[in-house]
Order: sequence, then C-alpha cells, then structure tokens
Amino acid sequence: MKAPFSSYLAGIAPGLKRLVELLDQRYDYVSVLATDSVGFGVRISQRQKSVTRETMTTERGCVVRVAKDGLYSEAAFNRFDPDRPEETAEALTAELDSQLAVLKETGTAVYETGLLPDEPQTLFVESETGRLPEEEDIQQLIARLSALSDEGVQKGKDLLDCIGSAQSTHISKLFLTKNRDLRQSYVYSEGGVMCLGMREGRTEGSHAGVSGRCGPELFDDMSAQLEEALRVTDELLGSDRIEPGEYDIITAPDVTGLIAHEAFGHGVEMDMFVKHRALGADYIGQRVGSDRVTMHEGALCAENVTSYAFDDEGTLAGDVTEIERGILKTGICDALSALRLGTAPTGNGKRENFEHKVYTRMTNTLFDSGDDSLEDMIASIGHGYLLQGMHSGMEDPKHWGIQCIVERGYEIVDGKLTGRVVAPVVMTGYVPDLLGSVSMLSSDRCVFGNGGCGKGHKEWVKVADGGPYLKAKARLG
Amino acid sequence: MLDMLLDVLKASGASAWEVTDLQETGWEFYFIRHRLDQNRAKKVEHITVKVYQKSEDGQFLGSASGEIPPTASRAEAEKLVGDLLLSASFVRNPAYSLRSGSREEPRRSAADVRDSAARFIRTLNSLLETPESDLNSYEIFTSEVTRRFVTSEGIDVTSVYPSSMVEAVVNARDAEHEIELYRLYHSGSCDENQLSRDLTETMRYGLDKLKTAPTPALGQVDVVFSTDAALEIYDWFLMRTNTAFLFQRISDWTVGKAVCDAPTGDRLTLKTVRELPNSSSNAAYDNEGAPVRDLTLIEDGVVKAHWGSRQFSQYMGEEDCFLVGNVEVSGGTADEDGLRQGDFMEIVEFSDFQVSALNGDVAGEIRLAYWHHGGEVTPVSGGSISGSMADYAPAMRASRAQRQYNDRLIPSVTRLYGVKLAGVEQDGE
Repeated sequence: MKAPFSSYLAGIAPGLKRLVELLDQRYDYVSVLATDSVGFGVRISQRQKSVTRETMTTERGCVVRVAKDGLYSEAAFNRFDPDRPEETAEALTAELDSQLAVLKETGTAVYETGLLPDEPQTLFVESETGRLPEEEDIQQLIARLSALSDEGVQKGKDLLDCIGSAQSTHISKLFLTKNRDLRQSYVYSEGGVMCLGMREGRTEGSHAGVSGRCGPELFDDMSAQLEEALRVTDELLGSDRIEPGEYDIITAPDVTGLIAHEAFGHGVEMDMFVKHRALGADYIGQRVGSDRVTMHEGALCAENVTSYAFDDEGTLAGDVTEIERGILKTGICDALSALRLGTAPTGNGKRENFEHKVYTRMTNTLFDSGDDSLEDMIASIGHGYLLQGMHSGMEDPKHWGIQCIVERGYEIVDGKLTGRVVAPVVMTGYVPDLLGSVSMLSSDRCVFGNGGCGKGHKEWVKVADGGPYLKAKARLG
Repeated sequence: MLDMLLDVLKASGASAWEVTDLQETGWEFYFIRHRLDQNRAKKVEHITVKVYQKSEDGQFLGSASGEIPPTASRAEAEKLVGDLLLSASFVRNPAYSLRSGSREEPRRSAADVRDSAARFIRTLNSLLETPESDLNSYEIFTSEVTRRFVTSEGIDVTSVYPSSMVEAVVNARDAEHEIELYRLYHSGSCDENQLSRDLTETMRYGLDKLKTAPTPALGQVDVVFSTDAALEIYDWFLMRTNTAFLFQRISDWTVGKAVCDAPTGDRLTLKTVRELPNSSSNAAYDNEGAPVRDLTLIEDGVVKAHWGSRQFSQYMGEEDCFLVGNVEVSGGTADEDGLRQGDFMEIVEFSDFQVSALNGDVAGEIRLAYWHHGGEVTPVSGGSISGSMADYAPAMRASRAQRQYNDRLIPSVTRLYGVKLAGVEQDGE
C-alpha cells in the first residue's frame, strides 16, 4: 500500500502558500517546510511495559526560511491558522525584526550568502509500506513482544530481563516556495531485542536490532534478534578485557558502518568545509584509503530509515560517491553551504525537527562490498580480533581522529577463532591509516538504521550505515 | 486549547490522566567566526498527555502517552485521547498510586530572552583572541520556558524559567597545524564570567594540543580529571541510587549499603539540591509534578535515600521520591595540588568520555592530556582509557574544592588510580 500524504498538511497548504506570498513581498527568498509525522513506540519487558505515540521523529509544525540582503533567518511555529496567514506573517516578521535590532545594537556583521534558486518544481511521492503505524493493532503487538520477552527469560542464562521494542513512524513533509510544491510521505520502522544479564556481580546487556523503510510488519518476527541478543549477552558475561595494542582486525558490517559514519560521514559534511572545520576539504582528489575502499552516501543508496525523496530544504535525494578506490572524490552538502562553496547541494540538508536549523547530515553511509570471503579473512590473521556490535562513535574531522566503542571482539589466533571474547573494545586511530590498512572486504553487505546521530553533542537525526566485513589494522584498548 | 483538552480528558473514562503543557519562546544565533550565519526564532507549544487505565480487578495500571497538537480540533483531540486510552488498557503494569496535589501559584525565575541573547553575543565577541587561538564558530540558544503540569489527582503547577545553551568551537594554530576543541554549555541565562573563563581555558588547552607527543603505552596509570568529563563518573554514582535501576536489579545500592566494600579513598556525599546558581534545572517541580527539594542520597559513602519516578519508587516501596534536577557532590578530602602528586595523567580533552550506567565500563579516546612524570609535564594525545568504575571507585579521591557545570556541582579535581591506558607509542619506541 501507499503511505498516504498527511490530510492535515494538505489542508493547511493553501494557507501556507498565502503565507509565502505575503512574506515574498518583503524578503528576497521565502520557503516553508511543514511536517506532520505520527507513530508509536512500544517497549515490553518483564518489569515494565510502555506505549507512546511519540518517536524520535514524530512532530507537527512549520518553519519559514527567509533571506534579506544576504542574511538567512528562520522562524518555527506550530499554532498556524490557515485562515489567518496574515497574522502569522506579521508575528514572525516582528520577531525577526526584534532580533535584527539586537544584532544592530551589538554591532554584529553578517556572513552574506547568495540567493537560493527557486526553479519551478512539483513532486508528490507516497512510498510503499506494508502497514501504517497509525493503524497498527497495538494489542497484538504488545502480545507479540510480551511472548518474545517471556521466551527470552525462559531461554536465557543469568538473565535479569529481556526487552522487546518496536517503533514505527509515518513521515509527511511539505516544502513550498513561490515556485515549488514538494510533498512526500513514507514510513520507517525500527525495533529489536535487548537482553540484560548478571553473573557473579557483573552486569552486561546486548541489543540486536532491525530497521527498514517499511511499516510495523517489520516486527512480525523478531526471533532472530532474540536468539542473537541471548547469545551475545551470554558471551559478554563471560568476556575478558582486551590487552591494549595494535591488532589486525575484521569489522563486522555494523562496525564497518560505524567506521564509515565516523570516518568519512562526518568528515565530509560540507557545512564543516564552510567553517574550515574539516580536513577533508584539503584532500579532495587525494588518497585517503587503500584502493579497496569505495564509499557511497545518499538517501538513494539504500532503502532504510532515512531514505526520503527530498531533504528539509527541498533538494531532491541523491547518491554521492565519496571515496572511489581510495581517492576522496567529494563530500555531501546542504543548500546554503553549497551556495557558499560554489557547488551543488546533494540532498543532505536535514533538521532534527521543524524547530531546528538545517545542517549537512548523513543519510545512508555505506562501504561498497569486495570479493573476499569471511573465512579467508579470518584465516589470514595471525593474532587479532573480529569486532562486532556497535556502541558509539565520535569523529574529529579536523584531525581525522576516530573513536569507536565496540561491544565485543572475538579473538583470532593462527587463522582461527579461539572462542575467547573481549569486551568492550575501544578502537581508536587516524582515519587515513585505518582506511589505508583495509586489505580485504567480503562480498556481502548489510545496512543498519537503529538509533540516532548527533552533530557535536546535539541535533539528533536518523541515519543508516553499513557495509561488508572489512579487514584492517587498528589500535584497540 | 488546554481547557478543551482537559474537558475531553475528564469525559474520557480514563482512570487518571496527566497533561504537560510546555510553551517556549526561543531565540537562536549562529556565527561563523564573528559573522552571523543565521538567526532563528521559535514560538512553540507542546502538549503531552498520559492516560492511565486500571484493570477491572485493580491489579494492574496501564498507561499510554502522546502529544496532542495545539491546533487539534475537539474531534481530533477526542480521537487521540481515545486511541491512547485503548492502548493503555492493553498495558499491564503492577498497580501503583499516582501523586496527588493541589493548584499552586506559578513559580517564576527571571527570563528575558532579548537581554540574555545580547549578553551572550557581547560576551562571545569580547573574548581575548590571538592570531594563535580564537573562536572558529559558535551557536547561541536562549529561551523562556513555561511548563504547566495538570493531573486528574489535583496537581496543577507551573514553572517559568530561562534555559540557554552555547556551542563553541575553538581553534589553535601554529605554522604547521590548526586544531579545534569543542564545547557545549547549558545554563539558565548568560553567565559572562563563567563563559569567558572556560573558553579562555579552552584556548590554552588548544595551544597545548599543538605541542603534544603520542601518549605513552603505560598500561596502567593514575588519571586526574579536572573538566566536565568527571560528570560521567559522578552520574554513575547517581544512577545507581535510581529506583528504576534498583527495581530492574541493575543496582543493589539499597539504603544503608556502603557504595564500596573496602574503600581506601574518599567517602563521597551526593545530594540533590533545589537550586544551583544559573542552573537550567531550577524548576520547582519535576516532570511528574513532585516538588523538588534538597535530599542526601549518599553520605560519607553510604546510601541514604533514592530518587526516581513515581512508578518505580512505588514498586520499591518508597513514597517520597522525585526526579533529580541539580546535584551536588562533596566529601573530597584533598586540596587540588594534593591530588596532583607523583606520576599521573591529567586528561582534559576526550573525544567522548563515557561511563556506562549499566555496568560502570569506562571508555574514552584521549585528545589532550598532561603526562606528569618525574617532575616533568608533557602534553600528549592519542590512545584511550578503559576499565570499570566498580574497580576504580574504592580508591577514588576528590578535591574539597568544587566546580559547577550547569546543574552539577562536583569536586573540581578527581583522581582515579591504576586506570587501564592504551597508548599510541609502539613497543621499542
């Protein structure tokens, strides 16, 4: 079925168009993004059950962007009356004028920017979904997740709890300018199973997730996630600490995705080029990895939680080849940064929600596959680790430092897995060294879309990343 | 809108309900160097409803929550509340009683968005910058928040308070390199002195980062924390006194239990405090309408009380809990210099220092540290620390002097002993 475009947005569209007309009389550029996204989150454990109609991306509101004399300004609001656009135009103009008065008082200079293009364009996209979150049978879902949780605690050894979770969001967005009318609607879902265990005073937990640009049908069978969470929690409860040092490593697709995200995801967000905050700006056309490394970024690269038709500035989704056989080709760019850099936007202008500013953000960030087998990769290692399970990461685009906190490592000695597990593992290094050491890639590839991504320590958005198994060298601690 | 929604809820048949009405007027300014990249304004209202439904036998209390758009019609509000109520009827949590109360006069803290914004802009424009060290970019967020919480059990409380945030990126450079350091500050409104002092300190760190050597591969080392990274350490103690952690058996820190079995370090005291100067968490009531007050959670290393949500606190048989806002940690016995004796690594910049609330696992990549060894001090970078707070807590020491980071007042210097460290020097170097 098609995910239907919001009737609320369709209803206020005429009023918003009038608002654009009114503001256009005063400003050099006017656009409005309106959002109406609904969903649910269900979390079931042995000890607590919760249901909410909110997810990370549910929202309803509008943001106007205007430009005057080279300065871009925005106003966000969520009490728009489509029958009284004049009142909204007057109120937000007055508020922005008050800000300009403060800027004048403080002697603030403006970073002048050219005008965004406004070529005529219309788009109406309703993506396919199996079911809709707003129509999901919550009673049935609670029953399924409860059964999963019950099965987990029955099967698990030394388990404190087993938690099943499911979130699904139906996104609708409307982007208007004087000449443009873009509308999209799609559904994405994410869920998983988390097991918590305690053994000899030690507490550990592991989460196995699932995600996709699809409806709540994603949660019909999460038995594979349950089995994985049970197995890994047991492994973690019996794990050792790693001896710090540099090792040959194989990263599982989730950790490969984390490297992609931290290394040349954040590292080539081109709003950072504008601020001279990214070393990548100086390395376009140069080698940043081995010739086995090719990386793509874009909403069109995969169908996952952030695979939209247009971004929050009305730029159509793209598929950018960031690294081709080890050579850095280009970055990703929002529309205002593109104007400032004299390049084209790539469809990566995203907001946390309608209240937040646009930044250059990732969508799907993926390493291309290779032609090696995992068995050959393991057999090639004298002493090292197969790293699996993503906890968190942090980038440093200015220096290309990278920190990845990985859930666990499986020891490899003389080409064989020994059965010894170490946890957690802090992987650090210098990005070109890490990518330069990539020597083997498996022929399969996975994409992961659970969780969120911040810029600095704020601005949380949905992203997905992934790739194949990858062999490299890294410092572990 | 709110009156209409309250009518809908009263007529809904819910066993109980809660409404949070959050109104925010915010101004934002984004700068590249000192030129304005963009200005933003927002005026928004978020109304969140939680409905409760008790099972027929009274054994279970289910709930479901969701946001009701402020533009919702009565029919739309009735539909949304009806959906929530249906969902709540499927949720079977053990029954617990909800907090009751009365209508109180609004509590107001001074908030002037315009004034606060101007002070932030002037402060960030007047820092002492040099050709070697300056501000790359910064973002200013300042707002006035009005938060009203109304329940079917008679609670009707309102807090009006300021909330601000500044993100700043500092550059330092020499002939060969340029580096950056990142800062994110939360506060009530603008505290010019604190912001200037901290960013000046950050610029000094930036200049030192240009001169770093690779972190030596020490294996184990004493680590001194003197920045906001230490918040992660103290929040680990805090979370272990949370009734949700106790109920889920993640923590066993019951009242009367010593937090360490055989402490050789300082016996810390940790308490919630109603107000801290210019904190963004000075709201008079927590998110469930409970009045916030001073409460000692840990005293001299022994658990005295717990904090947490109504639901989990009731499950643990504790009636008088609330959700924590401000926290003060004391009990350090040394002066700052006393904690900087012998060989130690003072880490002032991490990529992202984390202490797992679940199991105390410590992890963080070192971006700048000062290696104090044999009377010499060497700035170093690279490598990481790891281990577990469960192992480090017994010997941990802290300074008597304190430093405030928004809603946390903690010892200004903290020392952990024998911390696992992965350096970047190779064997033989």
